[in-house]
Amino acid sequence: MNHLDDATKVTLKKVAYDENQERSASFLATDWDILDTHSAVEGIEILPIKTALKKYKWLEKLFFTLVPKDKDEYVEQVASSDVLLGYFIRIKAGQKVALPVHTCYMINSESFTQCTHNIVIAEEDSELHLINGCVADAHIASGYHLGVTEYFIKKGATVTSTMIHSWGKEIEVYPRSAAHVGKNAKFVSNYVALGSVKKLQMDPLAVIEEGGLGEFYSVIYAPENSRFDIGSTVVLNGDGASSEIISRVVSNGGEVTTRGKINGKHPNGRGQMACNGLLLSEKGYIHAIPELVGHDPRLELSHEASVGMISKDELAYLMAAGIEEERAKSLIIEGFLDLKIPSLPEYLQRQINAIIKETKEFETM
Amino acid sequence: MDTTVLEITGLRVSVEKKEIIKGMDLSVREGEVHIVFGPNGSGKSTLLNAILQLPGYSIDAGEIRVKSKNIKDMTTDEIANLGIGMSFQHPPKIKGVTLRNFLNVINRSEDLDDEIRALSMEDFLERELNVGFSGGELKRAEVLKLYAQSPDLLLIDEPESGVDIENIAVISKAINRILQKETPMKLRERSALIITHTGHILNHIEADIGHVFMDGKIICTGNPKVIMEDIKKHGFSGCAECIKAQKDHT
Repeated sequence: MNHLDDATKVTLKKVAYDENQERSASFLATDWDILDTHSAVEGIEILPIKTALKKYKWLEKLFFTLVPKDKDEYVEQVASSDVLLGYFIRIKAGQKVALPVHTCYMINSESFTQCTHNIVIAEEDSELHLINGCVADAHIASGYHLGVTEYFIKKGATVTSTMIHSWGKEIEVYPRSAAHVGKNAKFVSNYVALGSVKKLQMDPLAVIEEGGLGEFYSVIYAPENSRFDIGSTVVLNGDGASSEIISRVVSNGGEVTTRGKINGKHPNGRGQMACNGLLLSEKGYIHAIPELVGHDPRLELSHEASVGMISKDELAYLMAAGIEEERAKSLIIEGFLDLKIPSLPEYLQRQINAIIKETKEFETM
Repeated sequence: MDTTVLEITGLRVSVEKKEIIKGMDLSVREGEVHIVFGPNGSGKSTLLNAILQLPGYSIDAGEIRVKSKNIKDMTTDEIANLGIGMSFQHPPKIKGVTLRNFLNVINRSEDLDDEIRALSMEDFLERELNVGFSGGELKRAEVLKLYAQSPDLLLIDEPESGVDIENIAVISKAINRILQKETPMKLRERSALIITHTGHILNHIEADIGHVFMDGKIICTGNPKVIMEDIKKHGFSGCAECIKAQKDHT
């Protein structure tokens, strides 16, 4: 791997990319340059997508099958990009790798538009954990990140993907991802963004087949002048498919639209959604849009949504124990954003919570 | 040397513009345990909430001094940091904040782990604060909070409400530990103001002074056990009649 300077290392740590952290494989790219691609375990193959296309002729056929080329202008831009940047990750059938794969994209040049295309394949009965960081160097005033990721999760496989973003006030970000979750397979997608961004818009899709599970967890802290439009769409496409969409949003002056849609098409499907928002400032807003569509009477779909300010009773209770007001607010906000994901391995849960704790810098008022 | 921890004079408090405390005086000295009896809805909890200046409680007249400091312009945390801790009757549920995290922030005691074990709260440390706690568990958590805070003055709101006999004993033992009841009276530094409408807590905690609080005022002060016996025999209506008879006599 190329040598990284100390400033870059600090920037990368914001999104949990740490050279010293134990991982099964890693991928790092800044602007158009791939600085590292390697796997430390036999069961996981990781390659630059360009290399993978040369190695596997069948791969081209998977391109844009889950995220259509004509989905929108951003996907079109990725599809027509002169440079093909991205990673190919494949975990082989039956392999279960507990250590996560760390990937990271960094924007390091002014007004740079970074287009990426990633393919992740989890073969039958495999288990893969991904931690994906996306970050802009501190000196970058403006830029775009347009990313397409297609997940192919085969029968009985498990993939968890935790995406951590740390951009900047003038960066626009348009991730486009989709997952096909096979029979009895499991896909857990976590999204964490705790800082400024000019605009971030995404609505990842998961199509869940018979007995499969798709879970989406989002944790957003939106400071003033940031705009988030984030959602998740799940199609329960087989008997007994299930899904959970949970979002926790704190707006401290930022504008946040949080969407969730579960579309049930087959019997015995279950879907739950909870969009909870906390407003800290009179500026900005949180707009929660939960949607449920049922096509079969044997489906169980439900949602809850709430948007409000910090409870005065909770604040008074903490202050009555001698905690200063700003610290009490921070405690409540930290608690609100605390990610609890039942389907994540405990060590990974601990690691993600530590990342959240390290990266968040709250200004409560 | 003035050992008064809490001095209340001519206090009037309203909630949503309705006067609840209608002029009261109270003085609590170092080492004293006061118990305030009163029927439901008489404004006993309002007194404790006003001492900590909780939102919604307006002090319209009179003053509250904690260790000689007038708390009028102080915030709730500033008052608490003068050395006051309160066990709430209905503590709020705080999602995401674990009991352990909360205790870590407020802890001033040196042997909190022993107290956690004594109150059998080991299994609750990673639970969200007060979320899904039973009546007894809520009170145990509140008393554990007091232990961690190590305050000079404990405000305890209805310690026996919603709690079974077994838990009352456990909670009372812990309160007695905080109040240093095992040391001689003269050496005790901590005081308490305990609110109760049943008085059951007197079976477990030795109080020095009792008060009857009705219609927004303290109408009677004396030996807590004697007051308790009277209330048992005649109810709070008996207290009202007693005061009326005294007035008629004078």
